[in-house]
Amino acid sequence: MFQNTKCECGHQNPVGTVLCESCGKPLDEDLLIDENTPLEMRYDGVARRSQKANPHFIDRIWNFFSSVKIAVYLIFITLLGASLGTIFQQESTLINLTERSEFAAYYKEEHGTAGVIYHALGLSRTYESWWFVALLVMIGTSLVVCSLDRVLPLYRALARQQIRKHLQFITRQQVVYTGTFEGDREAWLAEFGKQLKRKRYRVWQEDGALLAEKNRFSRWGPYINHIGLIIFLLAVLGRGIPSWHMDQYLSLYEGETRQIPGTNYYAKNDDFTVDYYSESELASNQKGTKVVKLYETKARLYECTADCDDPIKEPVLTEVMQHDIHVNSALSYDGLKLYQNSFQEKVRFISVHPSLLNASTGESLGSFDLLMDNPSESYEVGSYQLKLNDYYPDFSLDEQKRPMTKTREPNNPAFVFRVTGPEIRPEGEVYIYFPMPSEKSKYYEQLFNESFKQRGDNTGKFAIKVENPIVDGKMNNIKYSEYTTYLNIRMDKAMPYIWVGAAISMIGLIMGFYWQHRRIWLRFDDDKLSLGGHTNKNSFGLRADVAWALGRAGIEVTPKSLDNRRNLR
Amino acid sequence: MNWLEFSSNAFITAFYFYCVSFIAFAIGVAGKRWSNRKPEDHTARWGKIGFVLAVIGWIAHLTFFFTRWHGGGHIPTSNMYEFMTFLGMAIMLAFIVVHLIYRNMLLGAFALPLVIIIIAYASVFPSEVQPLIPALNSVWLKIHVTTAATGEAFFAVGFAAALMQLIRVVDFTRKDKAGKRAQFWTEFSLFVIIVLIGFLVAVFAFRGAGYESNFSQETVSIDDDGVAITEVKEVKYSLPPIVAPYNSDTVSFQSFIGMNEPLFESPSWLNGVNAGRKLNTVIWSVIAGLILYGLLRLITRKPLAAVIHPHLTDIDPEDLEEISYRAIAIGFPIFTLGALIFAMIWAQIAWSRFWGWDPKEVWALVTFLFYSVYLHLRLSRGWQGTRSAWLAVIGFLVVMFTLIGVNLVIAGLHSYSGV
Ligand code: HEM
Repeated sequence: MFQNTKCECGHQNPVGTVLCESCGKPLDEDLLIDENTPLEMRYDGVARRSQKANPHFIDRIWNFFSSVKIAVYLIFITLLGASLGTIFQQESTLINLTERSEFAAYYKEEHGTAGVIYHALGLSRTYESWWFVALLVMIGTSLVVCSLDRVLPLYRALARQQIRKHLQFITRQQVVYTGTFEGDREAWLAEFGKQLKRKRYRVWQEDGALLAEKNRFSRWGPYINHIGLIIFLLAVLGRGIPSWHMDQYLSLYEGETRQIPGTNYYAKNDDFTVDYYSESELASNQKGTKVVKLYETKARLYECTADCDDPIKEPVLTEVMQHDIHVNSALSYDGLKLYQNSFQEKVRFISVHPSLLNASTGESLGSFDLLMDNPSESYEVGSYQLKLNDYYPDFSLDEQKRPMTKTREPNNPAFVFRVTGPEIRPEGEVYIYFPMPSEKSKYYEQLFNESFKQRGDNTGKFAIKVENPIVDGKMNNIKYSEYTTYLNIRMDKAMPYIWVGAAISMIGLIMGFYWQHRRIWLRFDDDKLSLGGHTNKNSFGLRADVAWALGRAGIEVTPKSLDNRRNLR
Repeated sequence: MNWLEFSSNAFITAFYFYCVSFIAFAIGVAGKRWSNRKPEDHTARWGKIGFVLAVIGWIAHLTFFFTRWHGGGHIPTSNMYEFMTFLGMAIMLAFIVVHLIYRNMLLGAFALPLVIIIIAYASVFPSEVQPLIPALNSVWLKIHVTTAATGEAFFAVGFAAALMQLIRVVDFTRKDKAGKRAQFWTEFSLFVIIVLIGFLVAVFAFRGAGYESNFSQETVSIDDDGVAITEVKEVKYSLPPIVAPYNSDTVSFQSFIGMNEPLFESPSWLNGVNAGRKLNTVIWSVIAGLILYGLLRLITRKPLAAVIHPHLTDIDPEDLEEISYRAIAIGFPIFTLGALIFAMIWAQIAWSRFWGWDPKEVWALVTFLFYSVYLHLRLSRGWQGTRSAWLAVIGFLVVMFTLIGVNLVIAGLHSYSGV
């Protein structure tokens, strides 16, 4: 360690300074021995915050995270870890499995021993694992620390640059020109400065010395990029906050309205359509297969405005938005997003419009609307009244051959009505009605009505059925849903920060890579002219600038001859 | 002639121009001592010819792209054929940009073969226009795929320059361990490229001859509910089957130089979709590559790197290193924008999550992290020169794995069809 940090030019430098902050003279003893090697110009040789003489515990942690070497290790381990996660499917993609044992069985079945090891090591949940998250957090910490460690010293160094630099500082740059000069120095310097200004350099002069600099702002590019990355990483971690994040699925058949769980909103599927490509649009290896062109949910979003939590009253819904949701076009309202996820072709009855008939004449006595999953208690049909006695949404028989319902879904609904009205006995007549036009349903309908008749519950006077169910090949008086749509309901309050972080990061990258910080120092010592140039990247461009300006000022050199690294070989 | 026919003619034109351009560049590099002109003049002259031919080829390639876009009704970047041809076009763009900055006449001798291999590889896949599935039907498809490929194209040029640099600096007079190692790995890189060419030769030779054999394979898969499903699938081979699919029966076997049945069956752990056929293709590529490499060695009687090395001696390795680094530095922001940020925007719009750890996404991230490692290491002086050239070579392998390997080996949301 060097003790004396005072430079010969009189400047007092902090411990750890490599090149005098003021005149640029190399201070490090190792650097003084070898006079020919180009100087290490990182951060202009200023001491970083982490370079302290006697580091304490906190300093050591700081030093750890400020080291680029450690950062490279962290990034590299993250890279390896991330790629391990792609060997086999991740558990999160197996949406139908939930139990740990199910997952274990899956990996064993699918991939044998390798799968068992993979699962046991936790690689099947790589991206949620503690070590992966810890790596991201460490990279984040390192980003903060390394930026703070360097950006302030670098800012200081660049904010107060001395124009006349130490001779060694100049002749040990990447780009160097030395020669003898005769004539009017000041006039030549003015001319050279003018040429550099035409290349958009900022130029300073001071008794026989010159400093030209351009695009200093690009030096901040990496730091701005790092700040963007920090914001991005914080936003990613922020998605772990429960109230910031919602992710659930909602299935809706056509015509259905349902509350989005956990919110005050209701979604309705007005209609769902699927378009397939026609045979002529398909490539030859796809002919005969069905390729979906577009599937779309015509959706409405409602907000509940009153009676929302009252179990007795119907909630009052106000429509807030209407949107055709398809794969690349979500419904978006106030931070809530409804995405088209998938669909299922599943016929589901919604309602029928049956008539009450006089069984012997076939004459219609009136008709009514019957909802399949939510029938009313009673219906007024013509001059008759139909009271709903029993309702089986998914009709079946139990072991004792008694009617029962298998599920709450109206897959095969059956309705038992008691009909009362004029010219029939006061207790009315009981009929069962199966709207589903399947043979089995119709068989049961007949069977049960027959047995009611035998029991004396009806006289066979009436029949309930849909009149003219098919008109011109289209269903008539019957409403059903062909498809059930699956919507993905999302809320993600971290998203704006994600985008802001990404945008900042991108701005930093562009600043840092498409512009380069270039500096040129020049000094005269009697008749000797020394020029040194430095850039943080693209010395090709800097050499071209210098050769061009020198040429305009009367000194012809090739850009290549300015390359100090090459000249030393 | 309709748009699509015109488009495929333009593609073939581009291909031939690239080949001729490569020959011109090769003459520029190799023929310096043939003529009685000064070597620099010779190189400059042939380099210029090569560059002009390359630009004409690229214009034909652009014509292919836009007429196919018009004829097919959507931007041709939606399957493997289209993507690889686009990548080839992007590499040409990157090459032209870097060439115009540095005017290094020899870069073309390395960049063009890369483009030729990539578009020949594209032609292995079915080239018919396929209609878009709903997820791909978005402006972000255009924006994301084109920018990502452009970034990758600059990495490809960085790779070409780095490989050149490695061949330039490899020292065949050295006999020590480090020297031997450098010789071996440089030669090995060239060998890998020869294997790729072997793959193409094998595929196109047997396809030209109309070769076909068929197997029926019984596969047992577990669906998401944990139920085992047994399926019998037809597997078609267009290269003579050295390995049969696991658990399969021969349906038809076209005999090939006395081979009437597969030599062995692929192991059980290779039970993915078409895994047996892919293994067979790999074996054939290596065989064809070995034959090609052996022939070249017989003709030249030297390692290939030692053949090329003397022709590169008048370029400075520092220039090559600068070109390689610069190409990567230009590509990095474009890649970040296209392959990560635009990808996230599109994923957010189409699939409701900006990031889902899908294998393709993960590998785009791995590529990004790898090149940021490259950039950080390069900040310290020890990692410039040969070491950073090796990183640029490996980086491009990561890019290629992301583009092709992930589709062939790992399946996910992004997978196009594979061969
Ligand atoms: C995935 C995370 C990271 C990415 C994508 C990233 C990206 C970058 C990029 C693109 C540059 C510019 C390189 C160049 O100009 O050649 C850079 C520079 C730098 N990075 Fe990072 N970085 C990351 C993490 C880190 C971490 C964790 C550290 C902590 C030590 C770090 C320290 C630095 C330093 C010191 C520079 C040089 C700044 C300068 O030239 O003034 N980086 N980074």
